[in-house]
Amino acid sequence: MATRNPKSIDVFGATLTRRQFVKTSGILAVGVSMVGTSALRAETPKATVAKNSLDPSPASSWLEIHPDNTVTIRTGKNDFGQGSVYTSYRQIVAEELSMPFDAITTVVTGSTDQTPDGGGSFGFLNDGTPNLRKVAAYTHQALLDLAATKLGVAKDKLTVKDGVVSGGGKSISYGDLIKGQQLNLTIPVRGDLTNIIGLNVEGNPPMKPVSEYTVIGKSFPSSAIQAKVSAKADWATDVRLPGMLHGRMVHPKTLGSTLASVGKLDKTKYPNSQVIVKGNLVGVVAPSEWEAIQAAQQLAGDTKWTDWKGLPGNAKLYQYLRNEADWKSTPVMKSGATRGDATATLASAKKKLSATYQLSYMKHAPIGPTMAVGDVKPDGMVHIHTHNQNPQSLRGEIAKMLGITIDKVVVHIYAGPGHYGRSNGGNAGAEDEAVILSQAVGKPVRVQWMRADDIQWSTQSPASFSDVELAVDDKGKLAAYQIDHYMPPMQDDRPVGAVLAGLPTMPAPDVHGDFVTSTMNNISDEWLYAETANVIERGHGTFQVGQKASPLAVGLRDHSMRTPGQFQQNFPRELAISEAAALAGADAIQFRIDNLKEERAIGVLKAVREASGWDTRPSPASGATTTGKKAVRGRGVSLMLRDGTYWACVCRIAVTPETGVIKVEKCTLAVDPGVVINPTHLKRQVEGGAMMGISIALLEEVVIDESGVTQDDWNSYPILTMADIPEIKVELIHNPKVGKYGGGSEAANALAAPAIAAAFHDATGKAIRRLPMKPAYALAALKA
Amino acid sequence: MATITVNGAKREVQAPGDTPLLYVLRNELLLTGPQFGCGLAQCGACSVLIDGKEVRSCITALSEVGHDQEITTLEGLPGRWAKQKGLPAEEAKNTLHPVQQAWIEEQTPQCGFCQNGMMIKATELLESNPNPTLEQIKAAYTTSGVSPILCRCATYKAVIESVQHAAAIMARGR
Repeated sequence: MATRNPKSIDVFGATLTRRQFVKTSGILAVGVSMVGTSALRAETPKATVAKNSLDPSPASSWLEIHPDNTVTIRTGKNDFGQGSVYTSYRQIVAEELSMPFDAITTVVTGSTDQTPDGGGSFGFLNDGTPNLRKVAAYTHQALLDLAATKLGVAKDKLTVKDGVVSGGGKSISYGDLIKGQQLNLTIPVRGDLTNIIGLNVEGNPPMKPVSEYTVIGKSFPSSAIQAKVSAKADWATDVRLPGMLHGRMVHPKTLGSTLASVGKLDKTKYPNSQVIVKGNLVGVVAPSEWEAIQAAQQLAGDTKWTDWKGLPGNAKLYQYLRNEADWKSTPVMKSGATRGDATATLASAKKKLSATYQLSYMKHAPIGPTMAVGDVKPDGMVHIHTHNQNPQSLRGEIAKMLGITIDKVVVHIYAGPGHYGRSNGGNAGAEDEAVILSQAVGKPVRVQWMRADDIQWSTQSPASFSDVELAVDDKGKLAAYQIDHYMPPMQDDRPVGAVLAGLPTMPAPDVHGDFVTSTMNNISDEWLYAETANVIERGHGTFQVGQKASPLAVGLRDHSMRTPGQFQQNFPRELAISEAAALAGADAIQFRIDNLKEERAIGVLKAVREASGWDTRPSPASGATTTGKKAVRGRGVSLMLRDGTYWACVCRIAVTPETGVIKVEKCTLAVDPGVVINPTHLKRQVEGGAMMGISIALLEEVVIDESGVTQDDWNSYPILTMADIPEIKVELIHNPKVGKYGGGSEAANALAAPAIAAAFHDATGKAIRRLPMKPAYALAALKA
Repeated sequence: MATITVNGAKREVQAPGDTPLLYVLRNELLLTGPQFGCGLAQCGACSVLIDGKEVRSCITALSEVGHDQEITTLEGLPGRWAKQKGLPAEEAKNTLHPVQQAWIEEQTPQCGFCQNGMMIKATELLESNPNPTLEQIKAAYTTSGVSPILCRCATYKAVIESVQHAAAIMARGR
């Protein structure tokens, strides 16, 4: 502990100051200070200290300890159903502070005037070091310094239990330590508040050893669930402001249509409705929601748009991507796993596989369509009430759209339907439109997209294809592996209302975009088969389909969706590895184990083998057939590493050759995240994610014609129902020697598809290398 | 003006008769348990009970609802249970419906936006079939209504376990 001045002490790079003694209460507020090079500082917008942000440098942003020994925590990450901020984050903070779980009484999330760090609802655990963990660790050290002084006991002789510091026969609670004082702990932070990542807490404060954990590892319930189940949650959909109008949009006829003429509203039927037009943005507002809905429908029928046919349509989509899309302008990415001489090995090998794997466009398809309340005040302040995965990014986008500074924008966050990545760059669709309509009428406007808007005008997860060449040797090892991934970009965060209205936005994804908006296709599926000497992995990028040709600059806008990019790369890899095992005449799990070095990867495979009742043998199964009315059965496996967590999955399926219908009968997952923080919540995340994974594997394909998405409801874009779910088994592997915790949730989505496809091969002897595995594509694979 | 019976009370509402019940409940009566999911009776996020039957409020016009028909929303589930069990007022105030209790104990929701419909459907099912089999639960959520009740987070396994748990709580009586 280095004392710089009597009022200021250094705490592992953080600074603890006592500003004043106060007569009542007292608080230890943990603020942040900016560090880094001057260049980084220059990149940091003044935004970080905008007057309606939580001022990050002096105090009180992240964590407050109150005199009654309770704690408030604040995070820019909103809950999107994972529950992590209401369970794991409370456990992590409680653990680092050595306090009970219940001491963390208040969790503040998302709202831009109430949380410090921005960032998005993804990577909640950040491979073991989320911001709040470091903040809590700094705070713990600062409290020990205070206690050492107060008790007159050396810091290293102090222990803490349940928020009470003891040593030398004396003890004092955190609350009593800070009572009557106003203390500031200023911690090092860097980053850009409104970019997709937000601010990061820097430095390396000492963390509590895993062996001493008492709060982490237990299944505490989520406070958010109690509120939602008992109809006491604050949903974004419930926001009602004085004078608020209901808005509905009349979106263009196609993804490239411009407005020819606005329809005439039937004022006898809809006397209180008002039409708002800005460029190609058309909306209707009315005091009553039902009137707004009907008026918008009537107006849509009477509004004329130009025609546009700039998309390839589904039948020609793959051919377009393969032969016509520009893969040359964007630099080819190579993975760090590239080594040896795969080309030469492939050329001389005897047992080879050469195959192409295809994935469709998919919808995030939140169960509630995007909605937001925009409120542009007479004084120029803009308030947005919504549910969003990245409120600070939204704030930046709205400020840009209106040509104002971000201190004029406040985003208020509430509960809402999961977006699965769609709004992780700041918008899901309705936010900017609500602001534009509110500005036009001078009142708060609640824009609610209808189901058809949400399917046809939202972004989608991009289609992709991958070419694989591999060879196996006589010893059953993978001798060479080469993969070329082709995928359009997946992070178009331009607010679509701003695009339609002709207002300023960030650029569309381009070759020279920043790391998020670039067309470059990074290798995101980490190579695991370390025994293989010859590996080439390449990622090829291109532009969004139809976007440049669209007079609106819209086209097929893409966006990251659960396990983005890695799903598109892991499906071809894992299916190809299963095919390689079959080529080698080896069992698909044993083949993987034989080509792996990492013990944790081998561990999840052994666990899933055991838990699924796997019968070790080569594929295809002995009764495999491509014909008949009788269902044939098979099983397949998949493996992935994501955000520090190892995943393995076995799916058992029944496929009826005559119809091509695939039914998943049992799905078993083994998950090793290192330290398991909250077993119940991780298990629930995995169960849900795995089933969503079956949904996208079997059912989900965006259907386009030459003008846009032709689906408009749940019948035309079906998702999994309860009748379709298999028996599910989840094995959580608590692996404390890893010393940290990996991510859960989204990754589970990726596992089912390659396991089901491998099971199809096992059952029929034919490979199905196309998602989704709809009956028509399954039949085509059987006839190939 | 129309009169409807919601969660045990007569309520006068101003909305025109062709207004879907969902908007009357949410915007006029501020009963926000039912959610807008599709407006097409395809998902169940807007479900309510009318005389004990699960109904999609997004396509049910106000004028179709008789003034003496009993509408129950998520907010009304505790009162419905209290009335069925004849709980004293003091106890009723602090008692959730067993379905809600089970949903909390099983930590069922992910985002939770669809769970209104999931809980309404569970209540409908368990009132007529106190001990449903797995197949009966699956049928309730897929073929018993005008559409399946959809969950995008795919919490179906948790929902099944919660229905079974709720059945056990109801059998115990509390």
